[in-house]
Amino acid sequence: MKYIILSAITLLCGINLYSQGSFIMSYPIGFPMGNLHDYISKTSYRGINLEFLKTAKPGVSVGLETGWNVFYEKADKQPYTDGTKTITGISYRYTNAVPILAESKWYPMHETKTTNPYVGIGVGTLFVSRSTDFGLYRITTDSWQFCVRPEAGVLFSIEPGLKAMLGAKYYPGFNTSKLDGQGFLSINVGFVFSSL
Amino acid sequence: MTTSLRFLLFACLLLPLLWGCYPKGAEYTDELDLVYTNYASGFNFTSLKTYSIPDSVVKITGDVINDPDHNGEPSFLPPSSAKVIIDQVKQNMNSYGWTLVDKNNKPDVTILASTMTTTNIYYYYDWWYWGWYYPGYNPGWGWYYPGYYPPYVTGYRSGSVFMQMIDNTSKPWTADNAPVVWACILNGLAEGGSANIAARTQINIDQAFTQSPYLKH
Repeated sequence: MKYIILSAITLLCGINLYSQGSFIMSYPIGFPMGNLHDYISKTSYRGINLEFLKTAKPGVSVGLETGWNVFYEKADKQPYTDGTKTITGISYRYTNAVPILAESKWYPMHETKTTNPYVGIGVGTLFVSRSTDFGLYRITTDSWQFCVRPEAGVLFSIEPGLKAMLGAKYYPGFNTSKLDGQGFLSINVGFVFSSL
Repeated sequence: MTTSLRFLLFACLLLPLLWGCYPKGAEYTDELDLVYTNYASGFNFTSLKTYSIPDSVVKITGDVINDPDHNGEPSFLPPSSAKVIIDQVKQNMNSYGWTLVDKNNKPDVTILASTMTTTNIYYYYDWWYWGWYYPGYNPGWGWYYPGYYPPYVTGYRSGSVFMQMIDNTSKPWTADNAPVVWACILNGLAEGGSANIAARTQINIDQAFTQSPYLKH
């Protein structure tokens, strides 16, 4: 039920904004960095990224971004020691990262070209939910981290109102009292749907 | 319908597939096994040589101490299951250079093994359970863990094997408590066939000793 509702909302939001500006749906491949990499080193191939943009002035758009990146790794059976205590087992590590950002993109070249590079920046929060399954137990830590996300990429025109995109985004989460800053780099491929 | 709108609809229909590829975690019971050990910091295990171990493994049936059949003894694991645990402990202790002696031959340490399959327990059950092995000691006695906290287990549908190593060289114990210088918990799902559980128990007892190299002579 949950995913039906979420899918419907996404569809409606997408079509609504599609009629006013542009809607980007992309597939992110996430590479863990820093503290997140220490916890899970495996690349994430699970995720989705959504952006809703309006043209502020020629060559500049502003909007909102959200998405979902799932990082997962099974750590082989190994001992963990703390003082005199040692515990051995297999751990299953999950990190769900959901960015919620206000963003702006700048397109330095004329839109009439077939290939258009862009750069952008987003500011907002990165919701990070970390869960560790260890034996029969699960330890979960949720954290809302401040995030400033730079990006760069290229748009390729396919037909009026439809472009393909290839870009890179870097999400560095800031430290919170619950969890150290979690960061990752994502390579996104997707489509840009624009009003004509 | 334009090409771009068709693309958009198609992409949105793919969304539910995301839930289908969410990682699933453990698939087999042995992947949920944990081995916990703790010991009294600074205790010199290598100065001790001999140990004893009862031939039975106590089955802890609950937090309430009772004796339903009034025979003055607690419940025990079936001998075949107990043998798996006892033999594996003996094998590891012997390979670490300890010598097995009878309980009446003043062993330096005694290893007491017990099991439980209930949901919550502090590893602090009554000394009463061991009255059958240590005749003459006060049933009101308990344990103490010199320099570290007693282990605590909470679980659901889980089974645990406990092992306590008691230091006999510090007798006479004066505080109505027996010092536990090494403690171990094997925890996991109490499911699967008895052969599977036995094999996992043996592997995990080996691991308990592997991660406790300070016991080695």
